[in-house]
Amino acid sequence: MTEKNQRLLQIPQGTEIIYLEEAFKHQQAVSQINNLFTSWGYLPVETPLFDFFDIYQELLSNKVKDVYRLVDREGDLLMLRSDITLFLAKQMGVMLSRADLPKRVYYSGAILRHQNREDISKNEFFQTGVELIGKSGADADLEVLTLLVKTFEALNVKPFVHIGSRDLINTLLSASPEDFTASVFKAVKNRDFPLLKDLLDGNVSSKKIPFLMQLMRFIGSSAEFRNMLKNQPYKPSEIEMEKIEHLLSLMDTLEKLGMEQYFRIDMSETGNQSYYTGIVFQGYLEGTDSAIVSGGRYDSLLEHFGFDTPSVGFSILLRKVEEHLGSRFTLPDNTRIKGKDFVSAFMEAEKIRKEGGIAIL
Amino acid sequence: MTLTMALPKGRLLDNVKNLFSLKGMDFSFVNRKLVAHDSSNTLKIFLVKNSDLPTYVNHGIAGLGICGSDVLYENSYDFFKLMTFDFGGTSMCIAGKKGEKLDMSGKKLTIATKFTKFTRDYYHKRGIPVEIVKLNGSVELAPVLGLTRYIVDLVETGSTLKANNLEVFEKLEDIKVHLIVNPSYYKLNYKAINAFVERIK
Repeated sequence: MTEKNQRLLQIPQGTEIIYLEEAFKHQQAVSQINNLFTSWGYLPVETPLFDFFDIYQELLSNKVKDVYRLVDREGDLLMLRSDITLFLAKQMGVMLSRADLPKRVYYSGAILRHQNREDISKNEFFQTGVELIGKSGADADLEVLTLLVKTFEALNVKPFVHIGSRDLINTLLSASPEDFTASVFKAVKNRDFPLLKDLLDGNVSSKKIPFLMQLMRFIGSSAEFRNMLKNQPYKPSEIEMEKIEHLLSLMDTLEKLGMEQYFRIDMSETGNQSYYTGIVFQGYLEGTDSAIVSGGRYDSLLEHFGFDTPSVGFSILLRKVEEHLGSRFTLPDNTRIKGKDFVSAFMEAEKIRKEGGIAIL
Repeated sequence: MTLTMALPKGRLLDNVKNLFSLKGMDFSFVNRKLVAHDSSNTLKIFLVKNSDLPTYVNHGIAGLGICGSDVLYENSYDFFKLMTFDFGGTSMCIAGKKGEKLDMSGKKLTIATKFTKFTRDYYHKRGIPVEIVKLNGSVELAPVLGLTRYIVDLVETGSTLKANNLEVFEKLEDIKVHLIVNPSYYKLNYKAINAFVERIK
């Protein structure tokens, strides 16, 4: 193999090439999802491919190392789009006015993240999702959760969505210093309970600790969650109870809609990003190495970009799901028309195409 | 359901076998096969090279794995640690020729090691500059042959060091063996995994 050919086989980390049948499947999936979002009254948004790095730096926290950066002609540091949610939040923060609210938007587009050379199964190349901006409360949370279920149905996949509440944990840890809360979130997210115990001891009222430990460990249905609450001695304060009730009321409504089999309460879902303020969730699909969907409520994200309004949404890493899509998305068989003069071949092909088939001249 | 688990070749395997056997989960790798099922059909077990183990678990090929914190540190993947075992503990140490001392007065410590990330982080966190040579085995040779003055390596009994006329200058960290799980695999199979952890505790 010549040196040039060898070079051609290499592609930079974090990029991928999709073509032919696989690209067809991808586009089918995107168009199904876009149609669904449109039918719910969501409008598309296109975000830029790169933007100034400094305005996002704080929000990226530990994701900074995955971001590709470059310098523009004026010497400003830019970043390539690694998370559409962030670029969208800035755009919305700048463009929207109070009169526009609530606003429903969706996006689908490529993202670029650095990946380790060995890390071939991450597939974090394409993001599609929705944002419901300017609406708080249970109905807004439910709109996004039910739309997520409808998206799974459109794709014909059945993941499990684990929902936590950043809000509840924040309330339970209220009056704690910010860096302490951050360490707690990290321990909880990693389900590192020995570390969590060490952190809580001496920093949180000892009455609360057994409850917190049990709560953070919990994964299960709303009935199991109620049971867990009942069978422990700590009595949550009024405001803590309010946050618990909020979560349970979401689960109750999902149950009424027959969607409960998709959802589990899981307090160790604290969100990868520091900007989550309410419910937080991630979805897991059998056969994938990490979460395929993440989302939640981030009421202070847009404020970061100058417009203080609540927001809730989700984002699917579509390429991770595509391997698991059924035959509905594969290219149908085609008819090849042979041995005819062009005019009659054209006419025959048109007939097939009119009936929805694929005809190749 | 059957859970998938990667086990490392080498020193930990016998410990794991004994523990699992006590809990009614006997297994063995027959005819040099690298895949086995345990006798109670709880686990499908893959035998992999110690340092490759985190890769298998990260990709979800094996949901669970048993692995030392030394190997986990070198790979910066996110796993949940479900429990720590009381066997297999060792120490990460810095060693060199017998009779010499750890000389911090100079410019840099030159160290040969398999554990480059750990060594670099350990000394840089303490503001000590280091120069690191990556080796894949027989690390004890480095000071003997004059490649580097020091080595950082796992020390269990110290007999290999002794045989090569080396000695430990300082223990850097205790190394423990953990049961790890791919986070996504845990979330999908938490009930079966929790039951398994209870069983082997």
